[in-house]
Amino acid sequence: MKKKKGFGLLAKQKAAGWGFLAPASILIFVMSFYPMVRAFITSLQTGPAAKLKWAEPLFKNYTRMVNDKVFLTSMGNTFLYLLIQVPIMLVLAILLAQLLNNKDLKFRGLFRTLIFLPCATALVSYSLIFKTLFATEGLVNSFLKGIGIISENINWLGQSGTAKAVIIIALLWRWTGYNMVFFLAGLQNIEYSVYEAANIDGASGWKTFWHITVPLLRPVIVMTGIMSINGTLQLFDESVNLTNGGPANSTITMSHYIYNNALGQGVANFGYASALSFIVFILVAILAFINLKVGDTRD
Amino acid sequence: MTKAATIRKPAVSHIQRKLIPSYIFLTIMSIMSVFPLYWMFTAATNTSLEVAQGKVWFGNYLAENYKNLIAQQNLWQAMGNSFFYAIVQTLATLLICSLAGYGFELYHDRGKDRLFAILLLAMMVPQVATLIPLFTMISKMKLLNSVLAFIIPGLATPFMIMMFRQNSRNFPMDTMEAARIDGLSEIGIFFRMYIPMMKATYAASAVIIFMNSWNAYMWPRTVMKGNAVQTMPMLIANMSNGYAVDYGMLMLGVLFCSLPTIIVFFVLQKQFAEGITGSVK
Amino acid sequence: MTKKIVALFIAMCLMLGIASAFAEKLTVTAWDANFNGNALQAAADDYKANVDPDFELEINIVSGSSDVENDITNAGSSGDYSLLSDIVLFQDRYIKNFVENYPDAWVSLEGADINWDDITAVKQSYSTIDGVHYGAPVDNGTAIMAYRVDLLEQAGYTIEDMKGITWEKFLEVGKAVYEKTGKALLSMDGSGNDLPYMMLQAEGVSLWKDGKPFIVGNEKLRRVVELLIEMEKEHVLILSNDWTGYTNETIMQDQVAGVLNGNWIIPTMTQVADNAGKWQITTMPTLDGGEGYATNGGSSLYITGNCKNVDLAKKFLAYTFGGSKETYDNALRTGGVVTCCISAGQSDVYSEGVPFFNNQPVYKDITEMGAKIIPVEESPFHYVLRGYLGVAMQQIKDGADIDAALEEAQTATEFYMEGMGY
Repeated sequence: MKKKKGFGLLAKQKAAGWGFLAPASILIFVMSFYPMVRAFITSLQTGPAAKLKWAEPLFKNYTRMVNDKVFLTSMGNTFLYLLIQVPIMLVLAILLAQLLNNKDLKFRGLFRTLIFLPCATALVSYSLIFKTLFATEGLVNSFLKGIGIISENINWLGQSGTAKAVIIIALLWRWTGYNMVFFLAGLQNIEYSVYEAANIDGASGWKTFWHITVPLLRPVIVMTGIMSINGTLQLFDESVNLTNGGPANSTITMSHYIYNNALGQGVANFGYASALSFIVFILVAILAFINLKVGDTRD
Repeated sequence: MTKAATIRKPAVSHIQRKLIPSYIFLTIMSIMSVFPLYWMFTAATNTSLEVAQGKVWFGNYLAENYKNLIAQQNLWQAMGNSFFYAIVQTLATLLICSLAGYGFELYHDRGKDRLFAILLLAMMVPQVATLIPLFTMISKMKLLNSVLAFIIPGLATPFMIMMFRQNSRNFPMDTMEAARIDGLSEIGIFFRMYIPMMKATYAASAVIIFMNSWNAYMWPRTVMKGNAVQTMPMLIANMSNGYAVDYGMLMLGVLFCSLPTIIVFFVLQKQFAEGITGSVK
Repeated sequence: MTKKIVALFIAMCLMLGIASAFAEKLTVTAWDANFNGNALQAAADDYKANVDPDFELEINIVSGSSDVENDITNAGSSGDYSLLSDIVLFQDRYIKNFVENYPDAWVSLEGADINWDDITAVKQSYSTIDGVHYGAPVDNGTAIMAYRVDLLEQAGYTIEDMKGITWEKFLEVGKAVYEKTGKALLSMDGSGNDLPYMMLQAEGVSLWKDGKPFIVGNEKLRRVVELLIEMEKEHVLILSNDWTGYTNETIMQDQVAGVLNGNWIIPTMTQVADNAGKWQITTMPTLDGGEGYATNGGSSLYITGNCKNVDLAKKFLAYTFGGSKETYDNALRTGGVVTCCISAGQSDVYSEGVPFFNNQPVYKDITEMGAKIIPVEESPFHYVLRGYLGVAMQQIKDGADIDAALEEAQTATEFYMEGMGY
């Protein structure tokens, strides 16, 4: 009798657990996975939105990507942002967190707040701000001219190299502080005694950092890494609002190109846009998986 | 304390001296972080021409910019809408995701862990891909132009569930057992014990959800049509794309759009830091 | 006391509510509050004052024509038109494609009391499908070629010298102007590439031929591109990065002595009050000499399938944008919107000299120029092609081979169309 009751309780608890997570899980299935399945079906179709028909051959939307120069450019651009911006941002964020984690440092709260603030601005707003700052007659040029680094105004957003640089700078500006907060949190979870022990052993600052801090921060690094990879591969607003993909498509991202195909020009090609977004989905999943495997050495 | 302090005094100034490079670096980073925001403030007080010419000091055109802004745009209606949607979104998402995080962590078993891993995949679904199917779905539910249309896709996000799942590890099992013995139901434990104990996590999550919701643009633009339901980012986008843009007025709009999220962060920043700390344990 | 006020207030609200339930109301979606918004307001006021005092027009402003076009795409693909306003404004080139793909989404203007002979030919050519009219015209995209007379003078030229010239001559004048004043004679948004399009139209040549992109083998296009690149090298032409660079830097910061664009650019020019009286307009140059006429931009109002009161919508559009002098006069005054309705362009307001343009009656001149534009072949893929042509222009500017870059634009456009089954 008693046993039975205990079993009943356990089953009830188990059921309660499922009940708690059910609303969120169902929502994610309906709002993310189901549309993705729909998108996959659409990716096998072709024609204008209201008259979609099966592609001939079925995977035509996938095979034709290979010949799509703009898509290949957009992929190159996106990976360039990923390879340059994400490492710089994460290293900078760890460095800032490390500096701010020093108990002897004054104004820590103030520094933390100021460096985090950029990520509170809306995407629409921050693109506008950066666009005006980096205009040919804008503030950045007058500043650089003032201190004598350049003599002629640079057309930042008009040349492919500098336009990419502006996008990277804008991304660094907005997201470094955000990631720093996560690292700072991770550092605060590390027991102070670990450092004291290292100090006693006479380890230098760098050594402590590389051999103690970084390994202990690994879970946070993996998490921010996945978030950043995901965010960068789906990069959209900066490309649209800052450079509109230009000059000559040299800054266009994959999501921006997908958007141009799906909605951007009044003559939507949903089938192709869906196929492209599936490729992005697969790329993000692969990279996140690699990140997890590299970062996770526990078991 | 005083004793220790007096003994350590020379050591402290030595430490501070060693920290000078840190101070310099952090100051530079802080200035670079804040400067664009400072510029947004000054731009809102200048004329369109002065903004275009990159004037860096405050002007006296603020009143005029404000007058033009409210004459041309339904500023306060858009602010009201944005507040309403963002607050509803924040409350609803907090409830649903914290319940899920609680369920996933405190009742965890193999099946639930597997399900969670699958849900994480949703983080990687590109927004552009689901836009049209979602629109079709919401329109079939007859929800277009309603607050539900605004919030539904963001109600459950893998990131928020993860945040609560991680933080739930700090929730002591003993407390739960004790509560059960006291006769509290499972849902009762959630409302009476879990929520009060996880305040910091709720605060941190609220900051993130509120910011995302306030700043959302692409989805609201797709399902919310008309002046009555317009949000702030939509209003700014509408202002910035005319044949001739008034930059001073636009920057004032940008300022109005940025202030609430900045204020929310300032008010909740202590709890925010605490909550994030719990999530990366 | 307070109770009474509250009661009164409630009563008023109720009355207003009832009144609005009976009011003749329409909704419309457009972009640019100062331009299109003011034109629509002018029309609403006109209709309310002269036809129906209960009439009400709710104007929803969105961020750009692409917003309206995306709404239609969304609505069309899901079959749910309920978010569309009764009337929408969008760029003329899309309507053919939209009617073909989403026939239920539109109501034609058949039966509306509009004298179509009074609307410029080029405007009608966009929005007429198999003889059926769909669009009620709003603004006229007629291109103006404006010059700073004072700066021309410094270089030894008058505005009369600029009439009917070749682009080679324009380049020559441009060099002299740059030398004497340091200002460019022309500027353009480098990624939008409106210039090649307008310059070709003035030649009566399209970027399309038999429904296919006509870039490779288009000799006139090649000449135009070469000319533009040459102008850019000689500081005669500034190619800005984007639209705001074009308007806010080159025009508003006074870097140019000439402007060529659709006449809706005038409100941007007049923002520089210091230059009042120094500008004048004339026709644009052509490749082999002679006065050029072109159009750029311009949009029309379309009644959607979601419209609850089609008769009212037709009556409203026919009365106002169909040719009401009062609507067009006020649209011009408050928004700077120029009509493509020939008779409305002869009103007193249109014939007035404009101080900013040295008292030239520019608006009358513009409507007259508009009547002379030759329609050329159009395509729903117009903006796709223009996007790729812009890419080619930027590549050529940076030193790429002209033919290779143009061929790439042709291939890219064909690739896009092929994906859609064309």
